[in-house]
Amino acid sequence: MQSARPDPITAELFRNAIVALADEMALTIYRTAYSGVLKNIMDFSTAICDGQGRLVAQGLSLPGHLASIPSALRACIALFGDDIAPGDILIMNDPYSGGMHLPDIFIFRPFLHPAVEGETSGPMAWAATVCHHTDVGGRVPGSNASDSTEIFAEGLCIPPLKLFAAGQPNTTLLRMIERNVRLPKRVMGDLRAQLAACEIGIRGMADLVARHGPEATLALMGETMDHSERLVRHCLAELPDGEAMFTDWIDDDQIDAGKPIKLVCTVRKHGEKMVFDWTGSSPQVKGAINNTWSYTAGASYCAAKCVLSINMANNDGVFRAIEVIAPPGTIMNALSPAACAARGLTGFRAADCAFGALAALYPDRVFAASDGGNTGVTIGGTDTSRRPFIYVDFLSGAWGGRPTSDGLDGNTNMFANMASFSIEAIETDNPLEVLDYEMLPDTGGPGKYRGGLSLRRTWRMLADEGILQVRADRATHRPYGLQGGGPGSPSRNVMNPGTPEQVVLSAKLTMTLRQGQVFRHELPGAGGWGDPLTRDAQAVAADLKAEKITRAAAALDYGVMFVGDTLLIDEAATRALRTRIAARGPAPSPAWQPFPGLVA
Amino acid sequence: MNLRIGIDIGGTFTDLIAIGADGSVRTCKTASTPADYSAGISVGLQALLRAAGPDAVVTDLLHATTIGSNTILEGKGAPTALITTRGFRDVLEIRDLRMPRLYDINWTKPVPLVPRELRLEVDEKLRPDGSVRLPLDPVTVAAAIKTIREAGVQSVAICLLHSYANPAHENVVASAVRAMLPDISISVSHAILPEAGEYPRTSTTVINATLQPVVRAYLQSLQTRLNAMGIVAPLRLMQSNGGLASARAAADTPARIVESGPAAGVVGAAALAARLGEARVVTFDMGGTTAKAGLIEAGQVTRAAAQEIGAGVMAGARLLVGGGYLLKLPAIDLAEVGAGGGSLCRLDAGGAPKVGPLSAGALPGPVCYGRGGTIPTITDCNLVLGYLDPAGLAGGTIRLDTSAARVAIARQLAEPMGLSVEQAALGMLRVAAATMMRAIRAVSVERGLDVRACAMMAFGGNGPLFAASIARELGISRIIVPPMPGLFSAFGLLLAETEHHLSRTWRKRLDQLTPEVLQDALDEILIDGDRRLAQDGFEPELRQAGVSVMARYIGQSSEIPVALAPGTAEEILAGLSEAFGAEHNRVYGFRAPATEPVELTGLTLLARGTSAVPRLPERIPPGAAHPLFHRNAWFEGSGWVETSVIGRAALVGRTVPGPIIVQEYDATCLVPPGATATVDPFGNICLAVPAAG
Repeated sequence: MQSARPDPITAELFRNAIVALADEMALTIYRTAYSGVLKNIMDFSTAICDGQGRLVAQGLSLPGHLASIPSALRACIALFGDDIAPGDILIMNDPYSGGMHLPDIFIFRPFLHPAVEGETSGPMAWAATVCHHTDVGGRVPGSNASDSTEIFAEGLCIPPLKLFAAGQPNTTLLRMIERNVRLPKRVMGDLRAQLAACEIGIRGMADLVARHGPEATLALMGETMDHSERLVRHCLAELPDGEAMFTDWIDDDQIDAGKPIKLVCTVRKHGEKMVFDWTGSSPQVKGAINNTWSYTAGASYCAAKCVLSINMANNDGVFRAIEVIAPPGTIMNALSPAACAARGLTGFRAADCAFGALAALYPDRVFAASDGGNTGVTIGGTDTSRRPFIYVDFLSGAWGGRPTSDGLDGNTNMFANMASFSIEAIETDNPLEVLDYEMLPDTGGPGKYRGGLSLRRTWRMLADEGILQVRADRATHRPYGLQGGGPGSPSRNVMNPGTPEQVVLSAKLTMTLRQGQVFRHELPGAGGWGDPLTRDAQAVAADLKAEKITRAAAALDYGVMFVGDTLLIDEAATRALRTRIAARGPAPSPAWQPFPGLVA
Repeated sequence: MNLRIGIDIGGTFTDLIAIGADGSVRTCKTASTPADYSAGISVGLQALLRAAGPDAVVTDLLHATTIGSNTILEGKGAPTALITTRGFRDVLEIRDLRMPRLYDINWTKPVPLVPRELRLEVDEKLRPDGSVRLPLDPVTVAAAIKTIREAGVQSVAICLLHSYANPAHENVVASAVRAMLPDISISVSHAILPEAGEYPRTSTTVINATLQPVVRAYLQSLQTRLNAMGIVAPLRLMQSNGGLASARAAADTPARIVESGPAAGVVGAAALAARLGEARVVTFDMGGTTAKAGLIEAGQVTRAAAQEIGAGVMAGARLLVGGGYLLKLPAIDLAEVGAGGGSLCRLDAGGAPKVGPLSAGALPGPVCYGRGGTIPTITDCNLVLGYLDPAGLAGGTIRLDTSAARVAIARQLAEPMGLSVEQAALGMLRVAAATMMRAIRAVSVERGLDVRACAMMAFGGNGPLFAASIARELGISRIIVPPMPGLFSAFGLLLAETEHHLSRTWRKRLDQLTPEVLQDALDEILIDGDRRLAQDGFEPELRQAGVSVMARYIGQSSEIPVALAPGTAEEILAGLSEAFGAEHNRVYGFRAPATEPVELTGLTLLARGTSAVPRLPERIPPGAAHPLFHRNAWFEGSGWVETSVIGRAALVGRTVPGPIIVQEYDATCLVPPGATATVDPFGNICLAVPAAG
């Protein structure tokens, strides 16, 4: 049914319209959703796919979702085959049928056009949505524990099913969902938002077909993907060929405490093609941090898109030129019944690892390691009037030093465009007092371009007691520096800081928090880029003035000396100190431990 | 004769419009004078007063200015310090973590408006209910003031946690600063935005603080010039929310006048829509570098609760935030895209045609300006198709080189795409139109409206040129091109009213709320609004007030405003649950059963001082008819057509089928084949556009 290539103006107008349509679907979810996960964290995606489930346009969304929709939709198409009728709507969240983790529920609605229906005997397109739901049941509120060991503990698993058949709702299934989640109003409200977005997608497709005709619409959908493929191949062709392997480690999975988990990424770039090969990564683990294939692919695509010179639309054309290999049975592509609720951590770290491999090939296009992804903090219990509360927060913070500038201080990780919660809202809604939320000096990896600083947040428990769960990492395997830059500071969990009862805790923990106890989390600082001895001394002075580094670190890490306790650089002393440190070799301070995984 | 004068300062030109008590209209365009904008205003005012004659008396002086946004964008705010609660000085720099662009490792956050070393902490802490957890330590306050004195800053922002619930600590700090540093500007968060949310409140207070000395100096300079000219009419400024504020209020809270200019055009459109009885109007304002879309429902502008200064133009949908400085004060809701007359047209590496967001600007400008521009722009495309007059823009002050534009389009666009020059030029205009359509759809879809049910009001220098093709694609059948479309923001000023927008955090469960508690809250905010209008000099009968509550079902993450019906507290309370349910249904498409508990989170007031006489004149005369001439213009389907070029006056009393070009001093309106145009009794050009076939 492929006709001649459409004229460029028509193709551009169609491309604009179909991308706008996917964005309108995203806006519909944003506008009508109930839960804060969707509004603050934007943890959802929308898309239009063709009849084969290939991605034609994706709405603005989370980078981690880049590969998720086609993967899940293809599993549905394979299962249902010809059994798709007008008025059908599919639902599923099964990680082992193309999904990601149970809270991510997919809704797919077919677009069947009468004029093509007869010939192709299948949908011409699909409106697709995926949303992270607040709760899908299971053993902990939020359905996101990192210490589950099987998917059966993680909540309600929905295989590909019809939520609507020929326009009629599947009330059996709806009741099952409603009864198995902790916050049914919120979940049902968010499912309604997904259905509304699919409705917008189907209406938009009908408008496009009315304008262009069914056959031209198919050709234009094809050209939309082909255009992205041409752009990606153009960008890849610009880059030198090569192969590089990078190894990074997750501290542990909380079940086998203290046992590091290996991530290995090999990037092979040849001509107009790039391959991300995860062979060599650890077998799947007991804890709930196993990736499914699509999440590993999302991390790979995210890293690839960051080094390409053009930010092109997300569709199948991008995937055609970038291959992702993740051996089944590994943490990068787990098999059932591996637990995967907290796989967010592994996604972040997969992106770090892919960046590491790309940095060896394209040093001027990649930043040093960021904070390693967000830290999840959950505090739940009952307040002093016996009312239940649950506080779920994700902290995130620092970018690695970049080839031409410092890493950002206080910014969301590249892999997830998340917002932070307001301190005043936390204190209003929970029996918690927040004592601080601030940047810590000397935590960014030193470099010609400094890594971003660690952020810390400290809570005091006001209720009698509650359960504290923390999912952090990078406590023993620090964010790496690049091109001579030092690593960032490790993450830290501390109970009762600054008191005689101070205790440093493990990175991942589940424990009781009692009234009056104070818990502090420090995020990792990010890695530095380039030799810190070549950092502009004025930039060191500016950091000192802003109290982002101390005078001691200015000397020790950067070899910069000041006149007395002023901010005036002592040029002669600085020259002498820098020469002395350089002669000593690259280990002037403990922050200079070479990172074990860095491939020279 | 009494004159009302509107003054709109833009980047290049300052536009002035004077309307006389007799309905006469005079306009003036002068060069803006960035070193001291009041100089350019003074030149324009003198010209208008000369033209109006010796008995002219200015009774009203209304002003929109970009001084607020420019000061922020150019980093020229006053050096400012921030005093905040210990442990939280980085709230301003951490922001809400979000970034506006994905996959770009070179994206960089806007530089904080107060450097870290001037974000000073004091020991104190309030609880969310306003009770004192830790008393304010005066020693730490004195230390902060000492640092401020030594740093030599001009302005101080004070923002302590939970101050919306209890202003006492902020007041003590402010008094201490005032006592020690009597000449410094002070902005206190609970007075500017008494709402929960420390980052939006801090950011808004800091923006206000850094603008205050700059805006105050500007207004003083302007007032001095007005006094010298013998103008005694009170000066009032357009706020971002579409209401006017006295010069004094604007100097106190300059954060409210940051997006002054774009607001004025929409306010004008709203007044006109109300006069014409249009239920729903999308506004389309296209200039040289960007196009902006807004929505008017029942003659009222729509407002957003917050805006970002310097965030740049939107990426298609407004889901990506964090690109600018957050200002959480109501502002007229505008979606903006980077498509204007100067937008560059090119092919990407995959061979697809793209327009903007890069613009040729005034220099080098479009290829046809002959000032060194080599990349074709939207203006070049309009010129080669015959839509623009080669004899020149702005009454012949700029002559246009058609053949240079043709060559550039042929080489860079038409030949690579395998199209004729005309097809390529028209194609680029359609691509630009598609980008602008996304802005228009954004403002309507976000409110769940079908854009086909709206009329379009098109203004700005390029709006009337593009309106018909965009409306056709969107399925909009009626377009209104108001008089003086290129000066419409200045005109809109004349139609605005004085407004005070107040808000506060107010958390109550609806089923536990008593009429007495509601009455107390209403009294407090109403008295505040009334006092402000009295200060502005409005007689009691000219003061209006509308109160809304912010409400949500318990457990929901965001709230919606619900307007309170007039009546006693008992009556309001009796109807509130139903009113919320109905509004929830309108916004989200469903409502919960009446048993579902509802929570109120805030209270907002719009207090308006109205004018005793109508703002809008009966009609704006379409001006003198100029002689009819013809020009060849190229349209899809029909190719080159000899097209009449007429003035607005030629459309009075008759309906003319396209193609025609309505050429005016400040804008050109294109009526394509298939559309018709006429002029209504007010003086608007009204286009009827058939649906795309």
